[in-house]
Amino acid sequence: MFFNNWFKINDKKYLDAISTAGVIGLHMVSATVVGLGMGWYLDRWLGTKPWLTGVFLILGIVAGFKNVWLDSRRLLKAQDKEDAERFGPKDR
Amino acid sequence: MAGGLPHPVLWSTLLHVDQVTIGGATVEFKHVFYTWCAMAVLFSLGLLVRGGLKLVPGGIQNVFEVVIGGLEDFVVTNIGEDGRKVFPLLGGIFLFILFQNLLGLVPGCDAPTANVNTNAAMAVFVFLYYNYQGIKRWGPGYIKHFMGPMWWLTPLMLPLELISHTARPLSLTLRLFGNIRGEEIVMVLFFLMAPIVGTIPVYFLFLLGKVLQSFIFFMLTMIYLKGAFEHAH
Repeated sequence: MFFNNWFKINDKKYLDAISTAGVIGLHMVSATVVGLGMGWYLDRWLGTKPWLTGVFLILGIVAGFKNVWLDSRRLLKAQDKEDAERFGPKDR
Repeated sequence: MAGGLPHPVLWSTLLHVDQVTIGGATVEFKHVFYTWCAMAVLFSLGLLVRGGLKLVPGGIQNVFEVVIGGLEDFVVTNIGEDGRKVFPLLGGIFLFILFQNLLGLVPGCDAPTANVNTNAAMAVFVFLYYNYQGIKRWGPGYIKHFMGPMWWLTPLMLPLELISHTARPLSLTLRLFGNIRGEEIVMVLFFLMAPIVGTIPVYFLFLLGKVLQSFIFFMLTMIYLKGAFEHAH
């Protein structure tokens, strides 16, 4: 029934999982954009035209992937906790 | 006005507060007006609940106890006992953004979060607040949060962490703004196509979307505070 699912979505556990999954994409993009912007402004300020933009763009991409890694680790941890609640603690 | 489309009718237009002249400069005032509306709703609800506090809750007090109690449990399981100290801010942010978002569903009102300035203000405040809490907790040792797990990784990790911390307010702002603004535009489009019949089905979808967006803002603020509170890796 539709309303049962609606209440399930309002359950905190599901809200938490949906939010974490929904957040991943923009976390990667925003870190990349901030890296690019920082490099661009530093280049304009210091007059080292193409170099700092590239370096900071790469740093931004790495930071974005680090964000994605942290978010997915959070999702996995929640999943493990749920499994432990349901099937008892895991031996790995 | 949502995305260049004519909004059917707005209370702010009727009250002539779409644009106000302050000190000779004409500024956009609509989102400020609707922010005040959300604040007025929250304040009056709060005063109403406080005025009629009972030991056995009923009616509106019951709703508030369920919402706030549930959120506090969620925060405490995630952050730990430190969470109780910052919970007033977190719960406030959740309720404030929720009411701001839901104002977009009220006929004649516009969601103040559909304007990027409102979201930027809240995101910058969150950024300053979790850094303040981190500095208060760790003192100068807060810098260790930016230096990575091993000392020889510091030259690499310092700019990385700096970038990802600066990206936080940006992603907070853009996510809330994009979602709510998009919903407002779709709502006006549906309203133009089929005035009442077309808008009712999307109300349910957007109710979910708006609750989810305010929960995401709240959850991310909580994660950032948790990162500032816990020991550097």
